[in-house]
Amino acid sequence: MEENSEIRKIRTACPQHCGIDACGILAHIKDDRVIKLEPADFPEERDRRICLRGLYSLDVTYHHDRIKFPMKRVGERGEGKFERITWEEAYDEIVENFEKISEEYGWRAIGWVLGGPGAGTTKFGAYLRIASLTQSTRVSAWGYGDAGLPCGSRTIFGHQFPYFYLFGKFWQRIWSEVIIVWGTNPAETMPLQNMRKIMDAKEEGTQVIVVDPRFTITASKADQYIGLKPATDSALALGLMNIIFKNNLYDKNFVLEQTNGPYLVRTDNGKLLRGKDIGEKKLESYVLWNETANAYNLVRRKNVKDASLTGTYTINGLECKSVFQLLMELASEYTPEKTEEITSIKAELIEKLARRIATAKDVTFITHMGFTRTYHGDISLRSMITLASITGNVITSFTSGNIPATLNWNPFLKAIPDKPSFHRLGILNLYNAVIKGQPYPIKAVWFSFINFLNQCVDVNKVINEFFPKLDFIVQTELFMTPTAKYADLILPVCSFLEFSDFLYMPYPYLQLQQKVIEPLFESKSDVSIVSELAERLGFGDYFKGGEESMIDMIMDNSSMSGVNREVLKKGAVKLKSLPEGSNIPMSFGTPSGKIELYAEQLVEDGEALPVYLPPIEAPITPNNKKYPLTFIQGHSRFRTHSSFANVGSLLEMNPEPVVEINSIDSEVRGIVSNDYVTVFNDRGKTTLKALVSESVGPGVVNITEGWWIDQFKEGSVNHLTHDIINPVQEKVYEPNMHMNDVAVQIKKWEE
Amino acid sequence: MSNTINYGMVIDQERCIGCEACSVACHIENNSTKFWIKVETQGGIEKDTPGGKFPNLTLSFLPKLCNHCSNPPCVEVCSVEALQKRDDSLVVLDQKLCTGCELCIEACPYNAIAFNEEMRLAEKCSLCAHRIDDGLEPFCVICCEGQAIIFGDLNDSGSRISQLLLKKKNFQLGPELGTNPSVYYLPPKTKREL
Repeated sequence: MEENSEIRKIRTACPQHCGIDACGILAHIKDDRVIKLEPADFPEERDRRICLRGLYSLDVTYHHDRIKFPMKRVGERGEGKFERITWEEAYDEIVENFEKISEEYGWRAIGWVLGGPGAGTTKFGAYLRIASLTQSTRVSAWGYGDAGLPCGSRTIFGHQFPYFYLFGKFWQRIWSEVIIVWGTNPAETMPLQNMRKIMDAKEEGTQVIVVDPRFTITASKADQYIGLKPATDSALALGLMNIIFKNNLYDKNFVLEQTNGPYLVRTDNGKLLRGKDIGEKKLESYVLWNETANAYNLVRRKNVKDASLTGTYTINGLECKSVFQLLMELASEYTPEKTEEITSIKAELIEKLARRIATAKDVTFITHMGFTRTYHGDISLRSMITLASITGNVITSFTSGNIPATLNWNPFLKAIPDKPSFHRLGILNLYNAVIKGQPYPIKAVWFSFINFLNQCVDVNKVINEFFPKLDFIVQTELFMTPTAKYADLILPVCSFLEFSDFLYMPYPYLQLQQKVIEPLFESKSDVSIVSELAERLGFGDYFKGGEESMIDMIMDNSSMSGVNREVLKKGAVKLKSLPEGSNIPMSFGTPSGKIELYAEQLVEDGEALPVYLPPIEAPITPNNKKYPLTFIQGHSRFRTHSSFANVGSLLEMNPEPVVEINSIDSEVRGIVSNDYVTVFNDRGKTTLKALVSESVGPGVVNITEGWWIDQFKEGSVNHLTHDIINPVQEKVYEPNMHMNDVAVQIKKWEE
Repeated sequence: MSNTINYGMVIDQERCIGCEACSVACHIENNSTKFWIKVETQGGIEKDTPGGKFPNLTLSFLPKLCNHCSNPPCVEVCSVEALQKRDDSLVVLDQKLCTGCELCIEACPYNAIAFNEEMRLAEKCSLCAHRIDDGLEPFCVICCEGQAIIFGDLNDSGSRISQLLLKKKNFQLGPELGTNPSVYYLPPKTKREL
């Protein structure tokens, strides 16, 4: 409480889906109304943060278009005609529909389609818990653009995320000589947690390089911008490795000790050579060639140092080469000239970049999802990490810093330990489950924190083939989004100021998103909605105590000992520090326990090495006469995906969607800035204003994602995208949507 | 060291990411009808676009606000003394005295004074004088995503702002105008290309 008794202040935190920024917010409240938001204190003053959207969040909470009460559809789906009903009626409707569908198709025909919870935890967990209890289907939203990176990271590191291996030290403010920002634009998407630190490092002498097909604001801050054609990242990485290998500039000890580089591979079938292949008792042991003994050895922890990295050997009649030899052979195809031809980066610049990476004392690779939203985006990530590995730029142990929090997800992932839990479907697999009943039919979907129609691929397919097959659609929402218009039932949810949740971000902090005001209108928090529905489905006991008990449940882990809800009410708490003198090795969850430059499980797919494979659709070579332009979707600071797209104050600053097009492409089409143009392909079209800009290279056009369908003159970004599944990603983890691997043509709009 | 206070601001173009959180913060804090800080794109013609030809491009940002000039032309032309130069160097507008004659708007060479259409009065940045008087920093400073805005006492040689101006290349806007702004800029660093 402040001296001014009229104004109360409560510390909360913004959980938006910009994810790790997770700004601490101090809300000023007068007469039960929040009148101002400001950046809250952090234990370290330099971590105080807010962004332009966070500042304007009251325009979301108090938006005149908020959905105020439960509503039932009365018109056709998509028409937007609804009538007000009570919560009681809404729950009855849900229970009735769920029971009918589950009787006919089983509970797994009911899918909980959960989008990005942002930094939030229990609002997401509550849905997992009800899905688990009812053994219905959890539709994972990783494939909503965020599965390519985990696919690649799981393959090479054996871990969902590559972040701590690549830039854990950077997060601890340990700066390297060079930072390479690859395929991500933190200046607009993670300005506080990542971009600030990049600029801090640069101020203290770090050289910053940005690799991106688009000249982003992050690129504008770089010492050197490397502009490449979309989806050619693997060719660049191999081209760089080629130069590094040719000049013997790789980190031999790192490759020997931390990667499966020295392991022998059978040239006849591409499998790693094992003890069983050569009559050894240790059947599954990997094998390497010992240079000094001129004999093979089974791999043991200590003998990798003496292994040979190059050459061809015959053991028991089997011809073998090391993983590293195979990688060198692959890279040797990517001469600077060939790499230039594929990527459009000048050969001379590729040469300089390779030498800089290889000769710098250390290089931090900072990356995120953007460049992995291509058909082979998982390999793009692997190739970049392979480059980081052969130059010794992967973090393998921690000697300082804060121990990341581990959350107790068990009660959510498996609500009753000795009973089966939910079924799981990737969001791209949901298309076939609904449309074709494969692998099994989904007849009802529940959308929460997702604007499915707007943000997922191939809008026309969703409208014409997907929605009509569903018997029941529920949407929890704040606004009448393009998706909500297709719902049978809309349930009003709270904005972040109206409920509590636990946030374990930004690293190295824990925060409480503390309820600041009571839910407005008839809105409820997701946790309340799930709890009340669970009560009616006979699972009320599992949700007793609401949000607070959920928070206590998820915080119940030793990594948070001493920190609880009460403590967090006062402010952010810093995670425990590693004791001085620590040296904690980072484990790799791969089959070999090493960084796997070679993924044996992908031999049949031709992707054991991080090969360069051309994009599925992006016309990076001018062979597609009909649709010669590559369409990509950057992200805008004015929105968090499709959130904030309807906020008037932000629209005043950034009123409508534009397509960025290079002057070379605009001139041949007679297009100038502010002309209305139609972007199209066989799946659909969208009409919007053109912005002639050098921010994209020739052959590339960009529309920032997140604009709502009705904000375009016609169509939207996802009227152009496709639902093609990459079977390798499906096998490794789950298939990703490839928003940045799309071919289009552009013409002036004809009315 | 002078014992009078001389508040000023340094804006570091190297750290400015053009996000416009400063514009938004100022708008919220002051309930202004227009943006009192406007972020100018330096590069291409359109907002946020670079200059040059792909991939050899440049783009930087220049947030512009009231310069709190040492010799403020706006104060000079204000016949009703609504505009005042405070002892601590802030140029502040008392809207209660303002008649809406717009002479100050014309006089300001930086286009930093806005006209409030609803009230038919001038409005402008006071450097958050109300916050400074409470011992707080201007709101744009604490909301700057890039931590590019530094506020302090230019007369205190030990202040961070004075140290920055001592050590780093800097410039004022329109130095030839004789206004002597209290807002200084640090230009973007020269790029260390490969």
